[in-house]
Amino acid sequence: MDFKKILLAVDESENAMRAVDYVGRIVSDGTSFQVQLLCIERLPHRDLYPDEDTWKKACEVARSDMKAFMNKARDRLVKLDVPDSAISEQYVTSCISPFTDTAPKCSRGTSVAHEILEALKAGGFGTVVVGRRGVSKAEEFLFGSVSNKIIHSAKDCTVWVVS
Amino acid sequence: MDREFRDLVRYHLPDFPIRRIGRLVRDTTDFTSIGYGDVIALGDNHYMVFRDEAERRFGLEDFKFWVKRCKCLETGEPAILKLVFHEEFTQQIGPMKIRSFRSETKEARILDLVRNDPRFMHGFSLLDDAGNLVRVIEIIRGKQMDTIIEDLPGDHLEYFKTKLHEMLTLFITACEAIDFLHDNGERHGDIRRDHLWMETRTGIMRWIDFDYAYEAHANPFALDLFGLGNSLLFVVGKQVFTPPLYKDMEGANNIIPEDFSLIFKNRLVNLRRLFPYIPKELNTVLMHFAAEAEIYYDSVEEFLDDLRPCLAHLPKA
Repeated sequence: MDFKKILLAVDESENAMRAVDYVGRIVSDGTSFQVQLLCIERLPHRDLYPDEDTWKKACEVARSDMKAFMNKARDRLVKLDVPDSAISEQYVTSCISPFTDTAPKCSRGTSVAHEILEALKAGGFGTVVVGRRGVSKAEEFLFGSVSNKIIHSAKDCTVWVVS
Repeated sequence: MDREFRDLVRYHLPDFPIRRIGRLVRDTTDFTSIGYGDVIALGDNHYMVFRDEAERRFGLEDFKFWVKRCKCLETGEPAILKLVFHEEFTQQIGPMKIRSFRSETKEARILDLVRNDPRFMHGFSLLDDAGNLVRVIEIIRGKQMDTIIEDLPGDHLEYFKTKLHEMLTLFITACEAIDFLHDNGERHGDIRRDHLWMETRTGIMRWIDFDYAYEAHANPFALDLFGLGNSLLFVVGKQVFTPPLYKDMEGANNIIPEDFSLIFKNRLVNLRRLFPYIPKELNTVLMHFAAEAEIYYDSVEEFLDDLRPCLAHLPKA
C-alpha cells in the first residue's frame, strides 16, 4: 500500500474544498506524493424535470460547476506548493445523462462511496481523502453519508475524513 | 363532431343523463377544469370522467384534482386516469425536508417495467393531443394492508399467535417487489402502508402510486427502506404506538428515548418493551430504524436477509 498515493474525492461543496486545503498543506512539504482529484459526476435526475430541455440545461450547469471546482481545487493545491506534475484528475461522468459521452467507465449513481472505493482499488491508491458535512443520524439514515460509508467499507488503505 | 361525441356516450352509457354530458377533452393540460361528464379522448378510447380521486389522510379527504375516476366507453372497464401535474413540493419527514417532484415519466416507466408483475398496480401510458403523458391505471379491487390489519379482531397477543406469520409472509413478498424495482434502478418513492393493497380475488399484495421522485445521491434507496421499516413496524405492532396509546400498558415504564424511531421521535420501535413475546430476531430488524441504531440497512436485500428468518420464530395459526 503506497500511502503517498492519495485519492482526493471531491464534489463542488465547501467540505470538499476543506479536504483539498488539508491535503495541500499536508503534502506540500513532502516529496514523492501523488494526488489524484476524483469527481464522481452527480447530475440531477431526469424525473425531477418536466421536459428534456430543462433537464439538459440543469445538467449542463451541474457539469460546468463540477469541472470548475476541479480546476479550482487543482489551483489551490498548486498554490499550496504541491507540484503540478504530482496532481492528476479523474472525472467520472454519469451513465444517466443527456450528453453523448464516450468514456469507458461511467457512474451509475447508486453509491458514490462504492464508486470512490472502486477508483481507489483500480488506481492502487493507499490513501483516500473525503470531506464531511457533519450530518445528524437521521440525515445520515435518509440521505446517506459518503464519508461514513467509506469509513465502514474501505480496506487496505488509510482514510482521511476532513470536517 | 359534438353530435358524434354525444351519440358515442349515449351508445355506450345509455343511462347517463344527457344534460350532464360535458366536453370532449383532447388536451388535458388544464386538468382542474375537467370534471363530471367530460370525456377524455386518449388513443382509440374515450374515458367518461366521474370524479376526482381523493386520498383519506389523518381523517381528511385530500382531493387529487389531476387523478380522475373514469369509465372507458369502448371497453366498459373502470379506470383511473392520472393527468400530468409536474409538481415540486417538500416532503416533511420528521424534522427533515426532502425536495420532491411528481413525475409522470417515472411512473410511466415503472408501469412498463412491472407490466406482467402482479405485485404492482398495472396500467399503461399514452400521450394526449397536447403531448401530456397520461397514465391509465387499472383499479385494484381490495383493501389497504393497514385497514386489513387494523380491522382484525382481538388484542395484540391474539394477533401475534394467529395472524402475524401470515401478514409478515405477505409483507415480505411486498418487500421483494421493492427489491425488484431497486435492482432495475427504480425507486417507489412513496412507500407508505396505505400504498400497499391486498387484492381480494388473488390475496396478492400490490403497490400503488409510483410518481414521486426525490433528490438523493449518496443513498438513493434509503427513503424506500425507511418506508418499509415504518410499514414493518405497523405489521408487527398491529398499530403504531405513541406515548398516549401505551402509557397504561405493562412495560411502558421501561421505555427509554433510544427505543423510538430515528426519524419520528414519538413512534415506539422497540416493541418488545410492550410485547416481550415478539422474537428478539424480529425486534432486532425493527431496531435498525430506532434512535439507538448505529448500522442501517443499505439495501432491501440486506433487510430481507434479516427479515425472512424471523418467520421461523413466529407461531403459525
